[in-house]
Amino acid sequence: MANYNIDAKRNMTYDAIVIGSGISGGWAAKELCEGGLKTLILERGRMVEHVIDYPTMNNDPWDLELRGALEAEDLKKHAIGARAGFVGANNGHFYANDEENPYTEVKPFLWVRGHQMGGRSLLWGKQCYRWSDLDFKANAEDGHGVDWPIRYNDLEDWYTYVEKFAGISGQALGLTQLPDSHFLPPMELNCVEKDIKSRIEKEFPGRVMTIGRAAHLTQPLNGRGQCQFRNRCDRGCPYGAYFSSNAVTLPAANATGNLTIRPHSIVNSIIYDDKKGKVTGVRIIDAETNESIEFYAKIIFCNASTLSTTQILMNSTSDRFANGLGNDSGELGHNLMDHTYRVGAMGRVEGHEDKYYKGRRPNGIYIPRYVNIDEKTKTDKFVRGFGYQGGGGRSNWSAGANQEQFGGDFKDSLMKPGPWEFFITGFAECLPYHENKVTLDKEKVDKWGQPVLAIDCEFKENEKAINKQIKKDAVEMLEKAGVKDIVGFDNEHEPGYGIHEMGTARMGRDPRTSILNGTNQIHAAKNVFVTDGACMTSSSCVNPSLTYMALTARAVNHAISELKKKNL
Amino acid sequence: MDRRAALKKTAVVAGSAALVPSLFSLLQSCRQQPRLGWEPIFLSVNQAELISTLVDALLPRTETPGALDMKVDMFIDVVFAKLFDTKGQDEMITEIDRFDELCTEKFGSKFTELNTTDREEYLKQKEAESGKFNGKVWGTAVGDQKPVGFYRTIKSLALWGYFSSEEIGKNVLNYDPIPGEYLGCIPLSDVGNAWSL
Repeated sequence: MANYNIDAKRNMTYDAIVIGSGISGGWAAKELCEGGLKTLILERGRMVEHVIDYPTMNNDPWDLELRGALEAEDLKKHAIGARAGFVGANNGHFYANDEENPYTEVKPFLWVRGHQMGGRSLLWGKQCYRWSDLDFKANAEDGHGVDWPIRYNDLEDWYTYVEKFAGISGQALGLTQLPDSHFLPPMELNCVEKDIKSRIEKEFPGRVMTIGRAAHLTQPLNGRGQCQFRNRCDRGCPYGAYFSSNAVTLPAANATGNLTIRPHSIVNSIIYDDKKGKVTGVRIIDAETNESIEFYAKIIFCNASTLSTTQILMNSTSDRFANGLGNDSGELGHNLMDHTYRVGAMGRVEGHEDKYYKGRRPNGIYIPRYVNIDEKTKTDKFVRGFGYQGGGGRSNWSAGANQEQFGGDFKDSLMKPGPWEFFITGFAECLPYHENKVTLDKEKVDKWGQPVLAIDCEFKENEKAINKQIKKDAVEMLEKAGVKDIVGFDNEHEPGYGIHEMGTARMGRDPRTSILNGTNQIHAAKNVFVTDGACMTSSSCVNPSLTYMALTARAVNHAISELKKKNL
Repeated sequence: MDRRAALKKTAVVAGSAALVPSLFSLLQSCRQQPRLGWEPIFLSVNQAELISTLVDALLPRTETPGALDMKVDMFIDVVFAKLFDTKGQDEMITEIDRFDELCTEKFGSKFTELNTTDREEYLKQKEAESGKFNGKVWGTAVGDQKPVGFYRTIKSLALWGYFSSEEIGKNVLNYDPIPGEYLGCIPLSDVGNAWSL
């Protein structure tokens, strides 16, 4: 790979600036660079070059003293990230240092961050689902939040466009509530999943189970290798088999010769020139030297991640925008959403003892939404809906801890795979509530003197009602599928656990009630685009990243066309 | 100085007051079986002997190596020193000593000195009275996980240390770092033992 140009010293002026290099920032940079724009990415963390900076990618458990666990001392740096349950010695370096990046939990909120080139695209779950008009029309139909300014039709071609480059494996189903992507071949279900799928589909007409749709290559694509089924994704993939900015979009952007990336660049604010009546650039703090530096560009893309983007907009004040850039409506910071996901059921599956599988599939099963999709499936208990993720597999030696046995025979029995197990866990749509919000906590600053974010967010009655049904349906489905020793669970958790923060700078048709227009431009500062999760007007029940990719590519296309027309 | 650093220091500074009890137990242990062949970084020698005896009883050598062959006792000592926070460490120390006290109350001798029959009886009792781990989804327990107690904790650490060791992971279980493909339904007989990773 060609070296990245990280020398931003010689040039303070660019055609475009992209704040953040995660999933949406990487896409913005690629599209802008390929459109011929000299583009600067400002990344608050360090450089992480594909493969070169994946030091743990081949570690076996015995290669580390604590076999992959984080030492108590290191855990302190990840006290927040570790609440999500995913942080270990092999991936800890891709999680932000929570001690250096505090925030205020007005109500409990888990904010998982990845401060490095590639951001959380190195860590994400890679599940990719198109939204449908069920999602884009939902606010208009039930009156929660404001109407999306776009419909599926506006995004359909852009979904296809990003899918062809990102590489999404999955099974086409022809469902209206979950439109098919442009798919690479699906990964395989295992014996037990196939069995449970057929039983659920037989017992519950209208419900289907399919392999997860995921940004893992099942065939080589554009020089990237296909998945080798190691399931060590969150250390960085040496084959580039899963989609990350580092493996996919940033190398493409770099190949144009138009990209400059500046690491250790914490954006303090976006500069609005009151005299010119427009945004002219971005003010950063060098994370290493604390130096304040300004960069200028015709257009700015905000892709710092949902809450960081909004934090920057709030911190960007001027005579024209005293309450934060683009905040004429007063909606900046409001309508924060996430998905609930720790509700479901698990159990033991009898039979298939003589069957096993090969490979560690970084993917599970998906049960698409089946409630409130039409008149027939309407419930009066809640609005919106939910889907399930999950999977089956054979337990291993770790199950031995609970067995009331010890000794030589016990030990030797654990050399064989244990019983099959199966679980599903629901992902519920969260409504956009005005009072779920973030503000700047002016009482508290971080080590760079920046006001920290105060997060005040909670799930409410509708989400709780959905979760009730998620648990009930999960137990019922597992029962009918013949699963034994079923445990239904509802691990009520604070928002943020889903790591699907959305909203706080929403798109809308009306500048009086939204921050962004239908092409992700700030209504009153049209050369600023927000295409990360902050722009979301509702949350759907499916994973959002694919939609960020499509919205970003669409917005860049619009930006370039407007630049050509000299409208920006 | 935090506890971990303090412990590290006691391990290297000869002649420090804190080392005396350890030396004393070391001398004592010379007259007893089993004799610890390694120097703990967190546990006292007596506590380490108890852990050694316990993991050997849980996972003894058969045709395959045992926990002591895989240095599982040393691993648990390191886990206590580096993975547990101060609160967790204090709990473990209390619990180890309590485990031995209860043993002495019931059988009239320390755990390391029990005969095989009494040792099995004591462990069976511990199995019956210890809590269980809840199921996990994506790294976190479902439901309300109640404390499982000292015995179950050590047992799970012993299993972890044993099955994540190189010898078991590479040469006993099926080691396949780069499967290259996913086959969802194959005869178990094609594989034999479980995959290690």
